[in-house]
Amino acid sequence: MAVAGYVGKILRVDLSEGKTCSEDLDEATLKKWVGGVGLGAKYLYDEVPPGVEWADPENRLIWTTGPLAGSGVFGAGTFNIVTKGPMTNLAGSSQANGFLGAYLKFSGFDGIIVQGASPHLVYLWIKDGKAEIRNAQHLAGKDVWEMEDLLRAELETREHDISIFGIGPAGENKAYFSAIVGDRGHVAAHNGCGAVMGAKNLKAVVVHSGDRKPNFPIHDHEGLKARNAAAFEFAKGFGPFYKWGTGGALSGIYKMGALPVKNLTTNQYPEFERMNGEYMRTHFQVKPKPCWKCGLVHVKDVTVTEGSCAGFVGEEPEYEQIAAWGPMIGNTDLGATVMLTREVDRLGMDCNESSWTIGWAMECFNKRVLTTKETDGLDLSWGNVGAVKELLNRIARREGYLGNLLADGVMRASRAIGGEAAGWAVYTYKGSSPRGHDHRGRWVELFDTCLTNTSTIESSWAGVHTQMVDLPPHNNPFSHEEVFTLNAKFNGIRQFDDCLGICRIATPHPKMVLDCFNAVTGWNWSLEDAFTVGLRTVNLLRVFNFRHGMRVEDERPSERYGSVPADGPAQGRDILAKWPEMVQGYYQLMGWDEKTGKPLPETMEKLGLEELVKDL
Amino acid sequence: MVRVKVEFWMWSGKELGPDFESPTDKRATLSLCVADGTTVRALFEDLERYPMIKSEIFDHAFNPDITLTLNSRVMGYDELYGMVLTDGDRISVLPIYAGG
Repeated sequence: MAVAGYVGKILRVDLSEGKTCSEDLDEATLKKWVGGVGLGAKYLYDEVPPGVEWADPENRLIWTTGPLAGSGVFGAGTFNIVTKGPMTNLAGSSQANGFLGAYLKFSGFDGIIVQGASPHLVYLWIKDGKAEIRNAQHLAGKDVWEMEDLLRAELETREHDISIFGIGPAGENKAYFSAIVGDRGHVAAHNGCGAVMGAKNLKAVVVHSGDRKPNFPIHDHEGLKARNAAAFEFAKGFGPFYKWGTGGALSGIYKMGALPVKNLTTNQYPEFERMNGEYMRTHFQVKPKPCWKCGLVHVKDVTVTEGSCAGFVGEEPEYEQIAAWGPMIGNTDLGATVMLTREVDRLGMDCNESSWTIGWAMECFNKRVLTTKETDGLDLSWGNVGAVKELLNRIARREGYLGNLLADGVMRASRAIGGEAAGWAVYTYKGSSPRGHDHRGRWVELFDTCLTNTSTIESSWAGVHTQMVDLPPHNNPFSHEEVFTLNAKFNGIRQFDDCLGICRIATPHPKMVLDCFNAVTGWNWSLEDAFTVGLRTVNLLRVFNFRHGMRVEDERPSERYGSVPADGPAQGRDILAKWPEMVQGYYQLMGWDEKTGKPLPETMEKLGLEELVKDL
Repeated sequence: MVRVKVEFWMWSGKELGPDFESPTDKRATLSLCVADGTTVRALFEDLERYPMIKSEIFDHAFNPDITLTLNSRVMGYDELYGMVLTDGDRISVLPIYAGG
């Protein structure tokens, strides 16, 4: 008897052996780990022992959906990637929307475990419960868009008959912040999951849509419809996303001092009103491009109508992409952010790390630490979008001195240059960089980014929405004590979200998500149950990270990332003034040893992880 | 009397009514005069007379998804509420939502 919400099968692909097989998923495993990041973390822990490095064939690249993927919940075409990634050489978790999360289930699998490495470039074709490893040597060097076009042509399919996610030149060349990109502009970006895919010589995963209907049991169809409708009504009123996309948040983020400007050298960006989602949707031509069954449709294609890129057609940049290719590089031409967003996506890279890396290089150029000698003639003055485009291409192909240097990410590049410039780079000491925000104006995310076990934000998202989960509201965004307390108390619920195969923008309210989850599975879980699964995942990844060399002294921001803003709305606010106290207090609230940061035995037992105590 | 401005970044500016100036859909500004000695808390209590502001910002005490700035500087509620308004003060009410 299949478990409601699940196909009950996981596909295992051994690229070294050139073999695939299907494995059953039992109910006990699903109830413990649910799906998405939870199930991925379980397989990563079980199958990647200490000593296996990110590029080793023994590393795993784990693709998982969740019980809500393909269920009819709006926008639930999401999948999750878990792997040991190059940015931190620790665990990483990343999600992408689009169609693959739904189609993979329609094609017979809840997830894919990729192991080994192929001797030559291949792609994976999945249809009707069967998988085939196919030659992809003809796709070598192709960017993601070319790859999608060629695969659709050779498979003789229409645009939405298949879902394609793969790597571009960056992943093939193992640039550290390579992403897995597909379905025309959706990205699993974090911790270099595209580089892991490149190390395995896996160019793409292609999944057929099946008959586009749930092929797994759903406990309560009518209940799900009603709860999905309620969740959609809430999502329409949640922030600017429904009307203006995520870019609609840019002006507010600027006003609170959280917009990253010129590698955090300032918080002044007076052009912000011409660089937001409202401006884009009222001045550019916009066409809807929804993900799987999404009523919110915040994803669009746009045609640029003004500026240096007039006539360019691309995906509407999300907030973080506008931030990355607007204020971060000193650009005030909104159309150019559309062009650079497409460039990064087609090359297959994480826009955030790309932007922190290039922003740092531009600061170095403007302060004459880097000259045209090191840049091979590129003028990296602030705002030079043409030079940025060229540099992105050099990074993706590891071309030239600077391209190869920056392909390792900003932490490693800045340490290689050394001197004063080493202090200008924005990163965490674990090795990853923040999302596209100036977190010096948003402390909950700065703290989360440094303390995370997933390589990106773990407990927060757009702050901590305490009232959504019956926690008391916060009073002061710059209170050291409140920040670590709220992060600890909120931690778990967003990881539960990432177990489900949903889009956080289409379904942002945890309780409404839980209602949909119960309608699909029939498990009748409480909010506490959901938190427990999320915290179990957090703690499992933390144990994994300790076993793979994580150091607590690396749970802190770089000098620039943790600096005090010199101007703007957060001027003078100093998060590092009480950093040790924050970390210690957070460890305590999380049930971790105050000094070592390791989960305490009683914490592990409470979460059903007692068998891992010996591993610490 | 002191003159103050309160700026709402609510994506519903045009629905707030004629007292508000709404240069764009996402922003509305209210200019008003208050008595000398008025605190920020008293000002916000007075603003509850506008139904949309009451429902979106003040229901269940203060909406925790709101960030406040005074004269372009982010402030905590605990820092701001007891402050006495001075002539020319500008308060911004910002949602804390962020994009992906």
